[in-house]
Amino acid sequence: MLFRVARSRDGGAVSHYDLYKVDVKKGMTVLDALFQIQDKMDPSISFRYSCRGAVCGSCAMLINKEPRLACKTQVSGLKDLNMNLKPFPPLTEVPPGWNPDEEVLVEPLPNLPILKDLVVDMTKFYNALESLNLWAEPAEGEKARTQSPSDRRKMERYVNCIMCALCFGSCPVNAKKKEYVGPSALAKAWRFHEDSRTADKERYFKAATTPEGAPLCDLIMNCVKACPKGVAPGGTIRKIKKAS
Amino acid sequence: MVNLKHDVLIIGAGLSGLRAAIEIVDTHDVAVVTKVHSLRSHSVAAQGGINAAMSIEDSWESHAFDTVKGSDYLADQDVVEVLTRNAPSVVIENELWGTAFSRTEDGKIAQRPFGGAAYPRTCYAADRTGHNLLHTTFEQAMRKGVKFYDEWFVTSLVRTEDRIVGVTALEISTGKVLGITAKAVILATGGFGRVYGRSTNALINTGDGCGLALRAGVPLKDMEFIQFHPTGLKGSNILITEGARGEGGYLLNSKGERFMKEYAPKKMELAPRDIVARAIQTEINEGRGFEGGYVHLDLTHLGAAKIKERLPGIREISLDFAGVDPIEEPIPVVPTQHYSMGGIDCDKNGTTSLNGLFAVGETACMSVHGANRLGGNSLLETLVYGRIVGKNASEYAANAKDPDAEAVDNAAFAMREKIQAILLNESGELCAELRELMGTTMDDDVGVFRDPTRMEGALKVIKMIQERFEKVSIPRSDDRFNYALVRTLELENMLQLAYAITAGAIWREESRGAHWRIDHPKRDDERFLKHTLMTLIDGEMKISTKDVNLGQFEVKERTY
Repeated sequence: MLFRVARSRDGGAVSHYDLYKVDVKKGMTVLDALFQIQDKMDPSISFRYSCRGAVCGSCAMLINKEPRLACKTQVSGLKDLNMNLKPFPPLTEVPPGWNPDEEVLVEPLPNLPILKDLVVDMTKFYNALESLNLWAEPAEGEKARTQSPSDRRKMERYVNCIMCALCFGSCPVNAKKKEYVGPSALAKAWRFHEDSRTADKERYFKAATTPEGAPLCDLIMNCVKACPKGVAPGGTIRKIKKAS
Repeated sequence: MVNLKHDVLIIGAGLSGLRAAIEIVDTHDVAVVTKVHSLRSHSVAAQGGINAAMSIEDSWESHAFDTVKGSDYLADQDVVEVLTRNAPSVVIENELWGTAFSRTEDGKIAQRPFGGAAYPRTCYAADRTGHNLLHTTFEQAMRKGVKFYDEWFVTSLVRTEDRIVGVTALEISTGKVLGITAKAVILATGGFGRVYGRSTNALINTGDGCGLALRAGVPLKDMEFIQFHPTGLKGSNILITEGARGEGGYLLNSKGERFMKEYAPKKMELAPRDIVARAIQTEINEGRGFEGGYVHLDLTHLGAAKIKERLPGIREISLDFAGVDPIEEPIPVVPTQHYSMGGIDCDKNGTTSLNGLFAVGETACMSVHGANRLGGNSLLETLVYGRIVGKNASEYAANAKDPDAEAVDNAAFAMREKIQAILLNESGELCAELRELMGTTMDDDVGVFRDPTRMEGALKVIKMIQERFEKVSIPRSDDRFNYALVRTLELENMLQLAYAITAGAIWREESRGAHWRIDHPKRDDERFLKHTLMTLIDGEMKISTKDVNLGQFEVKERTY
């Protein structure tokens, strides 16, 4: 199987694509294929990785024009996948020469600056957590608080977010508006707002409805389709918009 | 080049490192140096839970006894006491920080049964406990403004005659090597599972802290005690939590028998991990496994509702990586390297033999897990001891003189030369090839059942790989984000650890906990109720021993 991989030695933009012939084995993921390239063909290729089990969120990238975790994406099943995303330039602009029937196309996650090859600059993505103060104010006391299982369930979806940035990279609004904090930050704000233990819910409501937050979302729902963990930020943002 | 400078440096941003940083940040200039962003640390992958005696029927003494018995009496009992006494307080602390623990009907933190435990004392957040604790603890570190050097790989510890003075580190984004001076350094780099080819561990678990300590003349302890988790997913080796058995899952051989009745009739599937792993391996070796060498972990009788609520992550992993839905059919599992009981020799304050150098978490060996760790005790260790070691390191830093910046400068200069030499090597040995050979050697010859002849062979192979590593080359690479270089430096660390593990396993002529010698199937307290120390002296690994701190629990035969 041929892999066509976006390269950018100096960052900024994709400078060219390199073609590699990967020996595909049963159960092989796109991440495995990238390691085969790095180990056996081209050690200069750069990509992030850690858990290889779809829990750490390191390896978000664009695979055959869809944002996916490389470690979770089986090479053999690639042809049958279709996220049905609303198109925007990074998903529609195809490099010359790519033959989708015979080649897997691997590119950096859109909407964040390219640092090198498949490594993107996540600073903006992480900064949103900090600028919106997305943490709990520690509760006083020496005993754990109680919370009913049904109250916990209300935030379960949001706490499952692994901060992989696939939603950020799949969002046409993030592509256009540099100031937009992106779907996962809003889902995280709502996680604290929905937490029955939170004393000052207003703080998180304000964070979610900041001008760089929910008001910028056009409810395109690419984030819901791209999310590997069922967090589905889009539906939540709709709720936030309604409540504001 | 100008050196950077901090009072305290923490290497590693998993739960241990984060918790230590939170303890220090209010009083000292602390920075965390980490080769991956904190949220990508392996703590995120911990599934089943965190142990704490929270209920009225339970007690820290009972937790301590289970831990000591589980350790096959090799754990230092004073260290275990600190761990178990402080357990409820760190669980509560994380709850107050916002962790979304699963709950009982009356709203308390839910606890599930786990292997080797007398009570259901494993607090959990579905089967994503590590994920929840790590994200919450990271949020609190962010709230307190902890400084991170993300994607920096520490290449050496810098010491003078009697103390640590800093580190050298590769800034992955630029390829520059810089020195960072520090009064105190805490190693919190996690385990070294990737020494083995088949491991549940993240690909980043390469034992860097242990390699750094060893090269700085600090001994490693009990390296031969490697935990093989009974239930790694066949094929990808991803962890299937003990919580799956805690919730009532069965282990079945190819005859459909719950074979644990032959090995641990009382505890069955919830015997400690070393015992269950050996049972599974025996079933496979004696022809009662399935073709390809695995057994079944059957959850089908638990029903869809329970699986979806308590074990959603396991279902996802089984579907994504094995094409199996545990609601419908059993999960194929096999014993897989999972945890490193051994590590950097230190006491219950994290103090090592080098002034100013501390260790905590899986990279450390205090020793709290002895010869076999109980499930649910590793997340606990990170939080209890992260707090304690953080406090001790800041007290040390408060009284320490300014470190010798020139020594750090010189070390950075030398490290630049070393790395340049690797990069200039145009032809030579390929890192990937050497790494693969190390992994298969360790899998085949230093696994669940250990044969001295095969281990002697393995030791020769490791020595040979170390010699070949001298000529390692990266034929084509760039300065920026040179992960091929990072992986090469990681391999250097792992080869030293592979050697220490194997040498320790050859030396220890007994079977204790996770270390099973086919030629010495009994525990031998007279000769081996002691810790193994490995020290690198003039390039040679020297073995010595250290007494175990015994205490209130009498050393007994261990049955379940």
